[in-house]
Amino acid sequence: MIPMHEVPGNALPGPAAIETTGLTKRYGKVTALSGCTVSVPEGRICALIGPNGAGKTTLLRLLAGLSRPTAGQVTVNGTTPRQDPAFLADIGFLAQEIPLYRRLSAEDHIRVGAHLNPRWDAESVRERLTGLKIPLDRAVGKLSGGQRAQVALALILAKQPRLLLLDEPVAALDPLARRNFLGLLADAVAADGLTVVLSSHLVADLERVCDHLIMLASSRVQLCGDLEELLAEHRILIGPRKDTTAIERSHRVVQINRTPRQTTLLVRLNGPVADPAFEASDVSLEELVLGYMGQDAPSEPAQLTTVGEEQ
Amino acid sequence: MTWLVWRQHRIQFLVGAALLAAFAVLIVITGVQVANQYHAAQMACAASHACRNQGGLFLGSHAVGFLIISTLGAPALVGLFVGAPMVAAEAEAGTTQFAWMQSVTRKRWLTVKIGWMLLAAAIWGGAISALVTWWEGPNNALQLDAFDPGRFDIMGVVPVAYSLFAVALGIAAGALLRRVLPAIAVTLAGFIAVRALIILLLRPHYMNAVTVFYKVTSGFTPPGSYWSLASGVVGPNGQQLAQPNNINYIDGVPASYLPAACTQVSRGAFTPPPSCTQALSHFRAFLTYQPADRYWTFQGIETGIFLALAAILIAVTAVALLRRDA
Repeated sequence: MIPMHEVPGNALPGPAAIETTGLTKRYGKVTALSGCTVSVPEGRICALIGPNGAGKTTLLRLLAGLSRPTAGQVTVNGTTPRQDPAFLADIGFLAQEIPLYRRLSAEDHIRVGAHLNPRWDAESVRERLTGLKIPLDRAVGKLSGGQRAQVALALILAKQPRLLLLDEPVAALDPLARRNFLGLLADAVAADGLTVVLSSHLVADLERVCDHLIMLASSRVQLCGDLEELLAEHRILIGPRKDTTAIERSHRVVQINRTPRQTTLLVRLNGPVADPAFEASDVSLEELVLGYMGQDAPSEPAQLTTVGEEQ
Repeated sequence: MTWLVWRQHRIQFLVGAALLAAFAVLIVITGVQVANQYHAAQMACAASHACRNQGGLFLGSHAVGFLIISTLGAPALVGLFVGAPMVAAEAEAGTTQFAWMQSVTRKRWLTVKIGWMLLAAAIWGGAISALVTWWEGPNNALQLDAFDPGRFDIMGVVPVAYSLFAVALGIAAGALLRRVLPAIAVTLAGFIAVRALIILLLRPHYMNAVTVFYKVTSGFTPPGSYWSLASGVVGPNGQQLAQPNNINYIDGVPASYLPAACTQVSRGAFTPPPSCTQALSHFRAFLTYQPADRYWTFQGIETGIFLALAAILIAVTAVALLRRDA
């Protein structure tokens, strides 16, 4: 299932850090995630994008083993998520709510982590928080939201996981702190072969550091694959207002926008664009994301599972 | 894990230890006074050969007596303030998601936490009970009411079992409801309900009660601190007689059942006429009771019941936390 050609910007992708097949989670009658089939190779920074309620948190919690799938398979670091110290040691999950013991200080949390984890880089946390001028001895409940997020992020890195799952970790950070943190993540990935899945609404941030994309909408996977390849496979076509059935026949149209004067299409290419009346231009991540968020068509998992094979 | 439990709950533990220490100081000081009072009373009555009638002697003070009886509620406190928040407070604050993403399984997290909470509850219940049992020693010897719920339930081993049950109930309620206040409310209501139901419905029947029939003209008192469950008078046909308040009795038998001659006996010091003695001999008094020597058996059975309930609640907690989604 691994594409054998060169992926731009990467050497050969390694084995998958995450592999899911038909992953489904229902809470009573509500389907939070449906038929999710994705794959993330090791060493990637994967953006997890989707509108609110698309199932991002559900997917991350399933990967972390905090909840169990209703149907389907999930494989993380080569095994099914389970209650086992060795599995847990390799996973870092930071929930959106930034769970920390409010009455305990950062230093207390460092000691807790040291007691509960086989690998623990306490010095890195102290160094990092001191550098950010965050007091180590103050109860974290008394820190600002951004400082708390920094403490939680430093702690999760100290655990030295192989897979890091971050649910909107940068939402509480100011732009500079955000940039610094994402830089830190990129360094950790380059140095330790860490894999990261990062959910966020801040597409510009994600575009800067991510090289992989999972896009969810309406509890389904819309896109999954290497970010550059996905961008390369999509075009925005702008042309006169006329019949587009020819284009729809040969390419997959993600979104159509018709104004009285012109038609704008976001298409997933299936070969070159033949119609000279349409001008093709490259897409940005933001345009891609907005295009897929706008459409509510069911996904085609078979096509989307592995990028590259279909070319 | 243990360090985390200590760091998270040290305020609760320290407050509990401080309360225990204050209670112990008070009980030891007043307990010595009670013991001295008792010895003085024993010496005095021995001199006048009147030691049988010491039942009315009151030892201690009303304030301490009130504190002693209020230890009935002590087991509930651990349930409300230690048990109920254990899981619920973490679920509310989301910190379970911190703890469960360290390299520690949920099972180990739960085992260690529950273990320390149960140990704390046992120490709490045991220490209070030991102090109360010691303080009440002289009174137990005098009053002979060891089976009274106000005394049986605060002495011996049962307070330990109540404390373990209360903390387990709190933990289970917190694990199921995942909110602190509802968990506290359910713990309080559940604890009172279970305790009351067992006192009223189960405890009298732990062992088959003994019923003794005796002549109404003679008396019968079982030895020691027995537990009287029922008493009354049975008529010639074997039916139990109603005993309303507003009529005259002769030896426990309503006067209306007896010849008129008997009424005079009750008023004067005359030897009862043979017709009256004859009539009374058809009646039997009875006493249904649990003998005094069953005290520790009853304590043991009650302890067993509450330990079993605690075990069931711990199992419910484990299922709620380990089987369900986090």
